[in-house]
Amino acid sequence: MRIYRKLALTLFVWALVLLISFPLVWMVITSVKPQTELFRIPPTWVPETVTFEHYWKLLSETPFLTYFGNSVILSGSTTLFVVALATLGAYSLVRFRYRGRETLATLVLFTYLLPSVVLVIPLYLMMVALGLSNTLFSLVLAYTTFALPYALWLMRSFMDGVPEDLESAALVDGASRMGAFKDIIFPQLLPGIISTALFTFILAWNEYLYALVLVNSDASRPLTTGVMSMLISAFNIEWSLLMAASVMMSVPLIVIFAFLQSYLTSGFGGGAVKG
Amino acid sequence: MSGIELINVRKAFHAFVALENLNISIRDGEFVALLGPSGCGKSTTLRMMAGLEFPTSGEIRIGDRVVNDVPPGKRDIAMVFQSYALYPHMTVADNIAYPLKKRGVPKAERARKVAETAALLHLEPLLTRRPKQLSGGQQQRVALGRALVRDPEVFLLDEPLSNLDAKLRSYMRTELVELHRKLGKTMVYVTHDQLEAMTMAHRIAIMNGGKLQQFDTPDAVYNRPANVFVAGFIGTPSMNLIDCDLANGHLCLPGYAQPIDMALLAPGTADGPVVFGCRPEDVLVGEGDMPATVKLVENTGHEKIVTLEIGDGKRLLARVEAGRELALDQAVRIGFAPDKLHVFARDGDGRRLNRDGENDAALPSQPARMAGQK
Repeated sequence: MRIYRKLALTLFVWALVLLISFPLVWMVITSVKPQTELFRIPPTWVPETVTFEHYWKLLSETPFLTYFGNSVILSGSTTLFVVALATLGAYSLVRFRYRGRETLATLVLFTYLLPSVVLVIPLYLMMVALGLSNTLFSLVLAYTTFALPYALWLMRSFMDGVPEDLESAALVDGASRMGAFKDIIFPQLLPGIISTALFTFILAWNEYLYALVLVNSDASRPLTTGVMSMLISAFNIEWSLLMAASVMMSVPLIVIFAFLQSYLTSGFGGGAVKG
Repeated sequence: MSGIELINVRKAFHAFVALENLNISIRDGEFVALLGPSGCGKSTTLRMMAGLEFPTSGEIRIGDRVVNDVPPGKRDIAMVFQSYALYPHMTVADNIAYPLKKRGVPKAERARKVAETAALLHLEPLLTRRPKQLSGGQQQRVALGRALVRDPEVFLLDEPLSNLDAKLRSYMRTELVELHRKLGKTMVYVTHDQLEAMTMAHRIAIMNGGKLQQFDTPDAVYNRPANVFVAGFIGTPSMNLIDCDLANGHLCLPGYAQPIDMALLAPGTADGPVVFGCRPEDVLVGEGDMPATVKLVENTGHEKIVTLEIGDGKRLLARVEAGRELALDQAVRIGFAPDKLHVFARDGDGRRLNRDGENDAALPSQPARMAGQK
């Protein structure tokens, strides 16, 4: 009986895995099929001819690389901003005692609960007033505002796990407050910082709504809106190009995940590290 | 020259007053224990000496300079924390070298000093390990090493032994005392364990509720406790403390009028309610003529602790030799060692009313004053 149960469970799990990974696999397959093979019925599981013409076309004939560069700059600087602010903010919330500290933390969380659709129009108007509309920087600011609350709470729980004695010891040993932070606190926080950075990077990389509203020029469009406006029109969807673009959009995330996976898992489990 | 002086120090966290009017003067090279129950302000006192907390008012001096505004790193102190606070991402060697590094000691000299310190604390085989790979006792020694390596003027130790098991603790106690003798540096040691304080310190500062209760030698705090709190806090089992009245120079223990010589009391002590104190070893079972009943006998092996009931259901503890046979509910006669009695005021501060100091010699020691010669 037990063996059947185990078998059933294994089958179930594999079915789930296949179900979830199918779109990804199909994306890769479609991107390397020639146009002629795309809509054939029954569909070909393994392409009869493998072609990279769509990739080549995207890279040479479209502004894909500009969008890609924009996305890298956008996600990278948002991540830097958010990590720096969240780390320092969490340090302040955990280490210093001041009036309204808890209220501040709760309010920050409250802003996270607001749906982003509610904020997009006011943000747009603000950006226009600031003369920042149609710039990547406006997106950096917007993403920072909605990634920061969660990042701050995440960093705060990591910071809580770093014993205060460690910092006191560093101070007594002759370090300045910043020195103690750099030498002692920062290495302890590294898993948390990496988790936060990944969270923010993915969020910024995949964001669509704000990019659509705040940026309208090709020069500063990120990948998400750029690819959509380039390949999807009312009359036609360039499936092959779209799939090739999707593959190339996913690669950076997969690479980053592959490198940081061990940090990430130790990070999520390691919030309560003991000195 | 690095004594520590706290002058009228007060520390308040918002409305909560942690320390009130604290005056402590620690001499250069002295080993002082700050002793008290948890929450008495002893750790706060130590952290203020370290510069990790700042006094709300008052003055802190280390050596001959006022250090109120000097950051911890510039006070020439080292501190050992209860949690050891070893840097988890550094090896033992790096942990010990860190204070030197922060003071810009060149690399070669750093290595030499780390090796020296490691040799002193028998840490050589552990230098490349990380704190997580060490036992509690080893971590403790690394924490000590990090404090020693810089050769500071003052050592501050915050319950450094409380996370060790009993055997290791008594071993480290001896080690610390020997270390202090070797270095001759001022050491301030926070503990809630009176055994540690009594065995290690030159002088003990006993604190309670943010106030200094007594600051004196182990001998003095044991034999001449300044008030009821100290009397009850120091000593295991603790001192018998019985509320009674002082009338015409007679101490009236419940159910028995106990004549007490006025010479024992400080001049000018008025009649009225007092607290009578007597250590268990000074309760003499079988001598004297106060009736009592044996209620419980606890045999610790080398002695017996006897719970006795006197009048009004009041109970006393007495310490007798292990060979002494006492049955439950046995009626005995007890007396008290004549010059070992303590009398405290029952109001407010519970201060000691005994006549002490140079007057002690003048006290008639014979015959036993409480023997009840009516």
